[in-house]
Amino acid sequence: MSSNHKRLSMGGRIDREQPVEFTFDGRKLIGYRGDTLASALLANGVTLVGRSFKYHRPRGIFSAGPEEPNALVTLATAGRRQPNLPATTLELADGMVAESQNRWPSLAFDVQSANGLLAPFLSAGFYYKTFMGPTRRAWMFYEHFIRKAAGLGRADTDLDSDRYDISHAFADVAIIGGGPAGLSAARAAAAAGARVALIEQDFLLGGQLLAEPSDSAAAAWLRQAEAELESSEPVTLMKRTTAFGIYDGNVIGLVEQCDPGNPLLAGEARQTFTMLRVRSIVFATGAIERPMVFSNNDRPGVMLASAARTYLNRFAVLPGKKIIVGTGNDGAWRAAFDLADAGAEVTIADVRAAPPTALATEAGRLGVMVRVATRVVDVRRGHAVRRATLNGPDGQSEAACDLVCVSGGWSPTVHLTSHLGVKPEYRDDIGGFVPGAFAADRFGAGSMMGIYSTTDAIEDGHRAGTAAASFCGKSAPVPAPSKLDLGETATVPFREIPSLGRGKAFVDFQMDVTTGDIELAHREGYESVEHLKRYTTLGMGTEQGKTSNFAALAAMAALRNATIPETGATTFRPPYTPVAIGALAGRAIGHHFKPIRRTPMHDWHMANGAEMLEVGLWMRPYFYRQSGLDVNDAYVAEMRNVRQAAGLMDISTLGKIDVQGPDAAIFLDRIYANGFAKLPVGRARYGVMLRDDGIVFDDGTTTRLAENRFFMTTSTAKAADVLSRLEFLLDTAWPDLRVTVTSVSDEWAAMSVAGPKSRAILSAAFPALDVSDAALAHMGLLESEWQGRALRILRLSYSGERAYEIYVGATAGQQLWSRLLEAGGPLDLKPYGVEALGALRVEKGHVAGPEIDGRTTLDDLGLGRMAGKRAGFVGDLLRRRPAFQAPDRQRLVGLECIEEGKRLRGGAILFLPGEKPYGHGRGRVTSVTFSPERGHYVGLALLAGDVASEGSEVVAVYPMKAETVRARIVSPVFLDPQGERLHG
Amino acid sequence: MLRIECPCCGLRDHDEFRYGGDASVTRPAHDDPDPEAWYRYVYVRANPAGLHREFWQHVIGCRQWLVVERDTRNHAIASVELARQLSARKSPARKPPA
Amino acid sequence: MASPDFSLSVADCPLIQVEGWDGTLGQFEKSLSTSLDTKLPASVGETVRQKSLLVIRVAPRRLWLALDDGAQAWSLAVDPDLGCSVSLGEGRVRFSMAGAGVAGVISKCIAVDWCAPAAAPGRAVLTSLHHVPVLFLRTGETRCELIVPRSFSQSLSDWIADVAG
Repeated sequence: MSSNHKRLSMGGRIDREQPVEFTFDGRKLIGYRGDTLASALLANGVTLVGRSFKYHRPRGIFSAGPEEPNALVTLATAGRRQPNLPATTLELADGMVAESQNRWPSLAFDVQSANGLLAPFLSAGFYYKTFMGPTRRAWMFYEHFIRKAAGLGRADTDLDSDRYDISHAFADVAIIGGGPAGLSAARAAAAAGARVALIEQDFLLGGQLLAEPSDSAAAAWLRQAEAELESSEPVTLMKRTTAFGIYDGNVIGLVEQCDPGNPLLAGEARQTFTMLRVRSIVFATGAIERPMVFSNNDRPGVMLASAARTYLNRFAVLPGKKIIVGTGNDGAWRAAFDLADAGAEVTIADVRAAPPTALATEAGRLGVMVRVATRVVDVRRGHAVRRATLNGPDGQSEAACDLVCVSGGWSPTVHLTSHLGVKPEYRDDIGGFVPGAFAADRFGAGSMMGIYSTTDAIEDGHRAGTAAASFCGKSAPVPAPSKLDLGETATVPFREIPSLGRGKAFVDFQMDVTTGDIELAHREGYESVEHLKRYTTLGMGTEQGKTSNFAALAAMAALRNATIPETGATTFRPPYTPVAIGALAGRAIGHHFKPIRRTPMHDWHMANGAEMLEVGLWMRPYFYRQSGLDVNDAYVAEMRNVRQAAGLMDISTLGKIDVQGPDAAIFLDRIYANGFAKLPVGRARYGVMLRDDGIVFDDGTTTRLAENRFFMTTSTAKAADVLSRLEFLLDTAWPDLRVTVTSVSDEWAAMSVAGPKSRAILSAAFPALDVSDAALAHMGLLESEWQGRALRILRLSYSGERAYEIYVGATAGQQLWSRLLEAGGPLDLKPYGVEALGALRVEKGHVAGPEIDGRTTLDDLGLGRMAGKRAGFVGDLLRRRPAFQAPDRQRLVGLECIEEGKRLRGGAILFLPGEKPYGHGRGRVTSVTFSPERGHYVGLALLAGDVASEGSEVVAVYPMKAETVRARIVSPVFLDPQGERLHG
Repeated sequence: MLRIECPCCGLRDHDEFRYGGDASVTRPAHDDPDPEAWYRYVYVRANPAGLHREFWQHVIGCRQWLVVERDTRNHAIASVELARQLSARKSPARKPPA
Repeated sequence: MASPDFSLSVADCPLIQVEGWDGTLGQFEKSLSTSLDTKLPASVGETVRQKSLLVIRVAPRRLWLALDDGAQAWSLAVDPDLGCSVSLGEGRVRFSMAGAGVAGVISKCIAVDWCAPAAAPGRAVLTSLHHVPVLFLRTGETRCELIVPRSFSQSLSDWIADVAG
């Protein structure tokens, strides 16, 4: 058959000058710019487009919009697969490669359509009844086969090669929907002086007006509205953009598709996720036509009447030559007339006994046959309908046809308004749900409010747009809207009756839910809509039951003999249409997954063999490859060098806080468990902060720079929390204290020189400075300048060795680092990484993050004497709670491995010798290291106080590796308990 | 997305803020020796379905701590004030130095 | 990086923070205004330019004094009874961006409304870029600056280049 044989030679909104090549299941086809994939397939006579989810029934194109339940395809081109895309929303693009889904070996011959024969076993609740309880194990066996048989498209497991953007946008008024109501609202709001964002999911504005002939008055109205909005300064037109969710604070989630007509440049995004923040919203989301429920109503060739009209008038495709239009309302007659006008032979089967005479007259004029009090009850043939069974006053009869158009009335699109909890309300006069009461900054307009005539929708949009602008304080005079009367007549939809045919009658096409399933759910007691939904999977498909919802509710209401409001509606949640995960991630992927912090010496580390480690957001040297082949070799070598000569460590990641003010000392006295008021100027002190509940919060060193000024350091991990906490206390608890705290973490490059040769190295590096013990004692401070930047040298030790922390302005960090290595080279100064740093502190028995884990108190960590008898500091009262004094409270101990060739592991659970290793044990190992000093593994542990006597043994069990090792309880200070090395 | 009107910086996304807990409880004076008062302050919460006073810090902004009245049922924000102004009203103002 | 539509340059950012104590703020600001020889920005987000110095109010009692890069370094004496100062110039980096595409790039970086009065030329906005606190300075119709923490600057300039590319 010739290409585009169903395409009309004239009309439509396609560009016949721009042919577009695409393939479907390997077949090369041609469409035009302005087509969707669905319209191009129809134009080429392709009616079988996919297989259904469960029964593998043949399916065609049912709708012309995002409500499409059947025609889901996978787009597959080199390096990318996007499954489950409705062909009805895919703008046709040159080179598009589409595949049908859920079929094998081919779409036309699918072996699993035999599932249709097994249908009795695949009804609602089948999985639950078959595989729960004693037969649950069977599920494990069958799951693989069942999952393979049922399903949709296959996702790709490769990295998504497309790029996505996240963007922030702002407006006064968002108008969601570019149909007659939305366009009218946008014109009014813009005229009133508001900044307007008009959001339209389609690549053309117009909504239902696009179903009107392209040479009609509607088309002229649309052209004028579009031209006006395009030239209007305060209006942003966002086409190809779906509002997928409405969030608190009037934030709207949008996904914009790129224009497939313009090839993407390198790095350009395929989709943009925009967070649009507005002050008021007009919902002009339109309405979705309902299917009719009859036997085999899912067959290819059954289509919504409005969709058939859209394919005809917008895409110039005549989808059938011999058409039956089944309906119960006036709207579908307009489709019938247009189809007849285009040359099709049309029969209307209207369930009403007496449709309006004016319509009947027009039908007569166009040669459309009308059968009243008649409904479609069945259609025949698998891949395309050939005949339909009609049931009328004279009984059943068959009629030949190649297309059955259906219209069960309309459902307002209330998904988005439901996202923030506005319950839809049933309106009897329109037979549908409309949004319940809106908040003051939200407005609805047009058919989503049940206003179905174009004239009224334009008026309503005008009203809503004016009100939404006025809510934002924009009330310039607004000219009256330009009118458009399409002469529609409003009608109440009819109520469905149970299917008269013998085949399956579907309510949810995508999830393969039939009226039989609804009956079964009802019979088994799943009557509430929420139960019904979960029992039958109704509305759980990718289109969230946009076409199925109402038919199912109506069916359940009928079974329960209840009204529709009594039966209720399920809750709609974001997203309105599926959103690619990639769009939500935007550019925050790969190395931009999170921001990375680099120290001033980062480049040196990278150039000098450092293996880097992510610590929070920071990149830190883990170890240096020159020290050893792997981390275990390297850290021991780096430790030895610190203990025997000296090591240089980048400690720029420490949190640093400038504390200033006349009351700074009083403030520090309150926030630290140990006192700071009497700390002399020029001296540093180790301090521990508690939380209000008496648990240790953080530790660090604070130095008094001047009477009113202190320099605080915090752990790397807690820097932000500590600063926030200090600000909290100053703002809320003690606003009378004249103190301010400022993060200066980025201000200073910090490095530690540790080891017996450290003083000699400092002397060599800073020949002009006096770093003798007399001038710079342990816990002392020396302030100076280096290369024009401020310099602070603190004599502090974390490793247990004589050590100095050197702070210099960040811009000079790398220079000073190099200077120290140069000066210290002859004295064996070598850099070391965080693994060695951690090991050195374990050997010295200093607690860190693994011990200060948000559960331990000062007493638990053996630091109780720091607080002594002080009172009035944060956490003071609650740290003395009786429960914290229990004899079996876990306390800090040291452990040494006493089994030759074995090791301790952090996280191991501690038991007494002979105890069954079961449950939480008596404690746990928190930190371990190999100790070059001791020649075996040592560790810190938290162990129940009633069994923690030094010298006795415990068993450390590490179930992850099935290891059990004996250890002896010792003092946590494994090295130099007298602290002689600090001064050595 | 919750959006909070910072009295200094204007309406901002919630991810610029840090949540700081219940602002309806009264913190005892720093040297209050009554463990019961501290227990109530740290642990006893009302958990209302409705307006809730809570601390938020505009941490990626002016760094001020705020007291926000938020309806826990629908996230509607009734008021936002600087915590410092509220606490200053409670404690005596400092005299300017002579 | 530079293109006709967008350019990004990175420079050091000499910066001093000053803050006055609650209760004596009026006196503090009067004395600061005298020593800087300029009126001070009244509310958070406002800026005042004084020769090579930009005074930005970043919090009710806190001001940033940003010097143009290359301007003469200087120090400021603050009466400790009225307030204090701390230098932040080593720890901040200034990104200068310009070009017709700058608004588009910024919309993919920070949640600031380029058209709002709060982001008009001469205004400052403290906000977050990829979760990092930054100060946005609108310097002209198609120009702006970001003052960012030095440790994050490489990561953030990569981000901007990626978005702009």
